[in-house]
Amino acid sequence: MASMVVVQHQTQPSFSTLTSSLSDFNGTRIHSQIQYRRKVLQPKVGLQVTASSEKNILIMGGTRFIGVFLSRLLVKEGHQVTLFTRGKAPIAQQLPGESDEEFAEFSSKILHLKGDRKDYDFVKSSLSAKGFDVVYDINGREADEVEPILDALPNLEQFIYCSSAGVYLKSDLLPHCETDAVDPKSRHKGKLNTESVLESKGVNWTSLRPVYIYGPLNYNPVEEWFFHRLKAGRPIPIPGSGIQVTQLGHVKDLARAFVQVLGNEKASRQVFNISGEKYVTFDGLARACAKAAGFPEPELVHYNPKEFDFGKKKAFPFRDQHFFASVEKAKHVLGWKPEFDLVEGLADSYNLDFGRGTYRKEADFSTDDMILGKKLVLQA
Amino acid sequence: MATLASSSSSLLLSSPPSKLAQASLPPSLRLSFSSYSHLSSLVSISPSSFLACPASSRRSSVSAFTVKASAAEKKKVLIVNTNSGGHAVIGFYLAKELLGSGHEVTIMTVGDENSDKMKKPPFNRFNEIVSAGGKTVWGDPAEVGNVVGGVTFDVVLDNNGKNLDAVRTNNNFRLQRPVADWAKSSGVKQFLFISSAGIYKPADEPPHVEGDVVKPDAGHVQVEKYISENFSNWASFRPQYMIGSGNNKDCEEWFFDRIVRKRPVPIPGSGMQFTNIAHVRDLSSMLTLAVENPEAASSNIFNLVSDRAVTLDGMAKLCAQAAGLPVEIVHYDPKAAGIDAKKAFPFRNMHFYAEPRAAKDILGWRSTTNLPEDLKERFEEYVKIGRDKKAMQFEIDDKILESLKVPIPV
Repeated sequence: MASMVVVQHQTQPSFSTLTSSLSDFNGTRIHSQIQYRRKVLQPKVGLQVTASSEKNILIMGGTRFIGVFLSRLLVKEGHQVTLFTRGKAPIAQQLPGESDEEFAEFSSKILHLKGDRKDYDFVKSSLSAKGFDVVYDINGREADEVEPILDALPNLEQFIYCSSAGVYLKSDLLPHCETDAVDPKSRHKGKLNTESVLESKGVNWTSLRPVYIYGPLNYNPVEEWFFHRLKAGRPIPIPGSGIQVTQLGHVKDLARAFVQVLGNEKASRQVFNISGEKYVTFDGLARACAKAAGFPEPELVHYNPKEFDFGKKKAFPFRDQHFFASVEKAKHVLGWKPEFDLVEGLADSYNLDFGRGTYRKEADFSTDDMILGKKLVLQA
Repeated sequence: MATLASSSSSLLLSSPPSKLAQASLPPSLRLSFSSYSHLSSLVSISPSSFLACPASSRRSSVSAFTVKASAAEKKKVLIVNTNSGGHAVIGFYLAKELLGSGHEVTIMTVGDENSDKMKKPPFNRFNEIVSAGGKTVWGDPAEVGNVVGGVTFDVVLDNNGKNLDAVRTNNNFRLQRPVADWAKSSGVKQFLFISSAGIYKPADEPPHVEGDVVKPDAGHVQVEKYISENFSNWASFRPQYMIGSGNNKDCEEWFFDRIVRKRPVPIPGSGMQFTNIAHVRDLSSMLTLAVENPEAASSNIFNLVSDRAVTLDGMAKLCAQAAGLPVEIVHYDPKAAGIDAKKAFPFRNMHFYAEPRAAKDILGWRSTTNLPEDLKERFEEYVKIGRDKKAMQFEIDDKILESLKVPIPV
């Protein structure tokens, strides 16, 4: 078991922060928030996990987004890491910015257990045959999926689950905290049910609830949606007032949080919100994407979504409401802290992904044109 | 919205508090870790049940653990209190809390004891301070040394100063420099200042956290700077809005006035703007922690707010729920309606949202504000004093509603 993770940042967070914009100001030390620290490509572990014993770790999934970064961190820490996937995607793909040596090192160590996690019998038999110390469930959606894993591994040390802040009941009082009411009817109720099953089974579990995740290789068109429009020089259509507050968390910070709860007593049977330290308005996010990618400040066009029928298409990548969660518990209990602030994180994503010409979804401006077309008509 | 946990007792037993690597952490961080473990052990048990902010456990003790590092040390505290406005009630609560903790308190209200302003709350309840053993005096802060009769204090809390030096339009009672200078020369050990979260520069990324850019020309900013240069032990507190019995300024009352009279509630903009409304007891508890933990508090800025933001629409709805009445919210564009939003509405027409992260990190402070519950109590008092029956005019509201062609109730 890993021993207590030492708080990695300065131990006296003195907030003696008077702005340096005061021209005659001198004297009081400015506390530079860690969020403004320049982040280097390399997933920096930066932890002082002393003599963490090597674990035999299974990741359900691991080839798409979070797991890609998480598996690398775990392998670097010296653990034996197996990815349970159907094998549709290669087990290891070189990351943008990853050196050949690093990639060779990783791909030589990462292991594969090929199977379909919905085949519960296979899950149970293959896992029980191999035996794992720790399971990271990154792609589980329903509570049923967890049972065969737990049945197969009676001596499991820890089950670490990727849940979602989408389980929180909508509220006028925000941010969402881990103690808040959850919504049994939400789209993410499978995640909620999974958390309940974990608790009821008496296994040592930890659940992380991210908000919107972003970063290179994102398959959910969050930042990509803005980048497409910025690149095309198009106005950005934003529903409603544009002051809706949301929150993005960098995938590398999330991966670090997943590592930080490994073997951590303080994470035992706990839920943690994991996302960025600051929130952002829709309008602000459009501006941040432009700034991060080096585009000029975009034209924002606000519209009333009720006036349109977009059919099955999504006109905007975020839920049209305030949605953000406090990460103070993770900060206080785990000593975790996001390394990326928003513009830095978006720049990381842009420089390693979209800016290199790669993206997951083709640009589709059909809903934009509906919105802009109507606006033009109104102005005429 | 967050609902109350119905039975928290069973939750307390389930998981043992985590052990801490005590040795490696400084006291302030150590304490905040342990308190969070305590809270998190309440959290972990049944994620499927409707767990809520454990308000009941919060109310029982202001902080989930006790920071009694200097419990034995009683302080002589001077509160320089404003004679009007939204902050007056802070000094009132703080005086009573400090007295309850055994400290010596003098509260100096600026201005004249016999002025009309003293007929309003909280001043008309200052007998409560006196009967708790506190001293009440009045005077000009420029003469503070004389006003307090040459007495020296360990701690001065300035809940009045707005500008370092005279500003043409401001009345001189808000001058801060004389108070700071006197405190320094008389050997005050800890200087605390009630600033304002209004000095934060609006930004795209809420919330305002300690360390964010502030408006350099703001009076409070100049005062903060002056204090930081002149006291080795200083702290500045930036509040937003507050509710609580004895408040000198309307907050929730603005909503109640309209709700009980079945009038529409006009809210500028989308109604989605965030604000932060704390119960003043939370402000008092944070300040008390600073007084009792001067080393930890020193050289810090603290947002003096609750740990939840509420939207403007949300506040209207919560007030209506507290009153047990329906509410009709009407949104309007102040420019289009030709009115000054500052006069029409008691909150800023923008996101105005700070979080109390420094207090939680450094002082181990916990927020107990629970708007749904607290507003019920506020409504009870609203009715008790007969304000629901008071005849009122709503000229600006009527103007807004007319511009929107919304029917005005007779």
